[in-house]
Amino acid sequence: MIDVNNSPGASGSEPSNDTSATRKNTTELVKATLARRYAAEKRFRFYGIFAIAASLLFLAVLLTSIFIKGLPAFTATKVQLEVTLDTELLGIDATANEDAIRAANYAAVIKKAMRERFPDATKRKQKKELDRLMSTGAEYDIARRVQENPNLLGQTVTLWLQADDELDALIKSGVDLTKPDAISTRMSDQQIAWANQFKETGEVKTGFNTAFFTNGDSREPEQAGIRAALTGSAFTLLVTFLLSFPIAVAAAIYLEEFAPQNRWTDIIEVNINNLAAVPSIVFGLLGLAVFINFMHLPRSAPIVGGLVLSLMTLPTIIIASRASLKAVPPSIREAATGLGASPQQVVWHHVLPLAMPGILTGTIIGLAQALGETAPLLMIGMVAFIVDIPTSITDASTVLPVQVFLWADSPERAFVERTSAAIIVLLGFLVAMNAVAVLLRKKFERRW
Amino acid sequence: MVDKALNDTHQSAFDAIKETVGEFTVADPKMRTKNVDVFYGDKQAIFDVSLDIGNNEVIAMIGPSGCGKSTFLRCLNRMNDTIPTCRVSGSMSLEGEDLYGPNLDPVLLRARVGMVFQKPNPFAKSIYDNVAYGPRIHGLSNNRAELDDIVIGSLKKAGLYDEVKDRLEAPGTSLSGGQQQRLCIARTIAVSPEVILMDEPCSALDPIATARIEELIDELRENYAIAIVTHSMQQAARVSQRTAYFHLGKLVEVGETNHIFTNPSHELTENYITGRFG
Amino acid sequence: MDKLHLDQHISQQFNIELEEIRSKVLAMGGLVEHQVSNGLTALLECDGDLGRQVATADFEVNNLEVGIDEDCIQILARRQPAASDLRLIVTVIKVITDLERIGDEAEKMGRFASELADTNQQVAYRKELRHLGGLVKSMLRDALDAFARLDVDAAIKIAARDEDINAEYNTLSRLLASHLMEDPRNVSALLKITWCARALERIGDHSVNICEYVVYLVKGRDIRHTSFDQIQAEFSTKKF
Repeated sequence: MIDVNNSPGASGSEPSNDTSATRKNTTELVKATLARRYAAEKRFRFYGIFAIAASLLFLAVLLTSIFIKGLPAFTATKVQLEVTLDTELLGIDATANEDAIRAANYAAVIKKAMRERFPDATKRKQKKELDRLMSTGAEYDIARRVQENPNLLGQTVTLWLQADDELDALIKSGVDLTKPDAISTRMSDQQIAWANQFKETGEVKTGFNTAFFTNGDSREPEQAGIRAALTGSAFTLLVTFLLSFPIAVAAAIYLEEFAPQNRWTDIIEVNINNLAAVPSIVFGLLGLAVFINFMHLPRSAPIVGGLVLSLMTLPTIIIASRASLKAVPPSIREAATGLGASPQQVVWHHVLPLAMPGILTGTIIGLAQALGETAPLLMIGMVAFIVDIPTSITDASTVLPVQVFLWADSPERAFVERTSAAIIVLLGFLVAMNAVAVLLRKKFERRW
Repeated sequence: MVDKALNDTHQSAFDAIKETVGEFTVADPKMRTKNVDVFYGDKQAIFDVSLDIGNNEVIAMIGPSGCGKSTFLRCLNRMNDTIPTCRVSGSMSLEGEDLYGPNLDPVLLRARVGMVFQKPNPFAKSIYDNVAYGPRIHGLSNNRAELDDIVIGSLKKAGLYDEVKDRLEAPGTSLSGGQQQRLCIARTIAVSPEVILMDEPCSALDPIATARIEELIDELRENYAIAIVTHSMQQAARVSQRTAYFHLGKLVEVGETNHIFTNPSHELTENYITGRFG
Repeated sequence: MDKLHLDQHISQQFNIELEEIRSKVLAMGGLVEHQVSNGLTALLECDGDLGRQVATADFEVNNLEVGIDEDCIQILARRQPAASDLRLIVTVIKVITDLERIGDEAEKMGRFASELADTNQQVAYRKELRHLGGLVKSMLRDALDAFARLDVDAAIKIAARDEDINAEYNTLSRLLASHLMEDPRNVSALLKITWCARALERIGDHSVNICEYVVYLVKGRDIRHTSFDQIQAEFSTKKF
């Protein structure tokens, strides 16, 4: 019971003095600490800016080095050559079928054309060096033209043909070819002199390197392309998406909306989180043991890669999906339940549409992670040397990051730049996928 | 020590509530509850509550936070089913049908006993689809024209039609708070329920929007039985015909609103509505 | 006023406001009682000065009424009282109206007393008036007492005493009527006496009202226009 008459009186006059004294004191105390507090804040801000600047610097260094190394790979050098398509030399005549045309001896034709262009090469060694200026890809160029137009046989035509990687690098490096001593290259001085002649007469040109995007892998760097790896990546990701998205979303919905809260669901939840932390190489081992050795699926195939990457992506998508399902306000569920919607209707009509942007973002991030994954694919044999473009998910293929890994092993200078170029393409895809994720999120932004 | 003493006073206050004061039955009940106990796990939230909801009446449930009034309201259309640990015993019936019996599926029950929530919670759909959702899932209309009739009729009954008739395709969330709450009421009455439960429907609204909702409640009384939980005693006094006072999970007193707000019989009711510490 | 638990609101300020109103009403009651007493004395003692003093002091009563009224309206507007608080405020508003009327009647008596004294007119029926006045004074005092103590039983009993006052007043008015017929020369003085008797009777009626408000305040039942037997029957059987 509170005494009305006494309590206000008792706490009336005296405490008011007290409070004003305290107030004055407080002001002074606060003033004394203000400078210190602001200094602390300033320091903290500086740390933050420093951290961001440092990371931006590292990123810039990384990207710059990759771009500087990789950009030359997007251009290729071609050499103009007058070629006589001598049927005798080629070993075919006008009636030859397609296989015969493809198998004809174009190398001889090119060698002859080169010797005619540089008659000063007389010694055996010189002749060999001269032959090495042209890429073997030049033969395929001529073959394709002949296939398209068999009437060319027997005629003399002027063609732009692919140069060898050393010549390519020499031309693209833009050094002064008149001073061979100053150039660090595996080419001989004689070869450099020829290259200089080509250059001075305008018989070389540098253009967009279409071969890089249309060819499979090759031992010759100037012919090596990422088409096979890109297709392999696409197939693998397709398999990954088709498997992991429906399974993960279904699992997330069940766990979040329908599963009873008991020890079993707790165990499952913990294990899903653990699964997300398992090193990816372990999934590769699992894939090797189960999919290849036990189920006898084809080695090096996107289907196995997709299966393995699905295992790896599943927990990521499940966790992201559960988080975004959880973020749907319970009031929406209550509203629908209160109107008499069945639990399943509540999920399909209201919860899932609202959670979809988050789920899709999680999926894309998971897929981007899968796109960049190398280790598990090494385990299941997707590290093969693939020249042919895969046409189905059971064909042997490789993927972009593995291609990068393979090229990074090769000693040729041209492979170094191709490695970087492949990394640029890979980064481009990752950025594009993340951009799509951002766009999706923006487009379906929460509207409740 | 202090906790112990506090618990003791709590316990003695709890024990002091014996029987419900006042007449908890009505002559023609829409819903009838008898000796209802509700448990959340081991904790009992409602103790032996018996209360009728009459036809065409607004019954207000008041009481301090945690007194069980919302829990009781949610039992009336089995919204508590979504909480796995919740257990209900005692008898509850709608027009003589047992709420927890085999004949009344919860989905059907919720179509007959609608609910309006504390926070306006329109779906992330258009105004039209918000109202049409209930009739659609229950198959209440055969064609688009019938559905249009239901939607427009419900919006009119909720006093919202004139404000939104030009933008039925606009998202429901684009409306103001008060309009959203009326949209939620329109959505509820689109299913033609028999009883409407309201869980603090105005707690998030300003006084003008509140007045509109209260006016609407008064109009809806002609066709529905309405049970409303509110923290505002003035609101309970304004909109209801009968008032029930809950305390510590027990129904302390129920009676005519006129009586409760001028001369309540139980001391706890008196203390609560006059703002005293009991 | 312990029954109303005015000191138990969660809002301390509300407690203080209600307590203030209550003490103001009691102060007003004391003042009015004093006025009635003085008015009666002035009449019986033919004290013109005292009569004038009573007449001029009425503004104090009026001021108090206006002040308390204002306080009550403030509480209604700002606190929206319910149940016992609401009944208290409503009762106070009504009680002060009756008190103000009683003050007016006292003023009237004071004025007539001063007029009678100024014109050296003789005050007849002094004994009867003293008797009636005594009854009315004690009834008013007891009614205010019952209000202060929220004593329902006492209030019901006090209200019943109005019968006696009415009977006394009727006797007095009959006497005055016959005197008027016999002695028309004293008409003006006798009429003033009649008015004073009437004023005393009205004060009794207002006291009854106050008692009825007390019952309403405590029991929440309006017992106006209900017979005494009914009230007795109801409140003696029902135990709150």
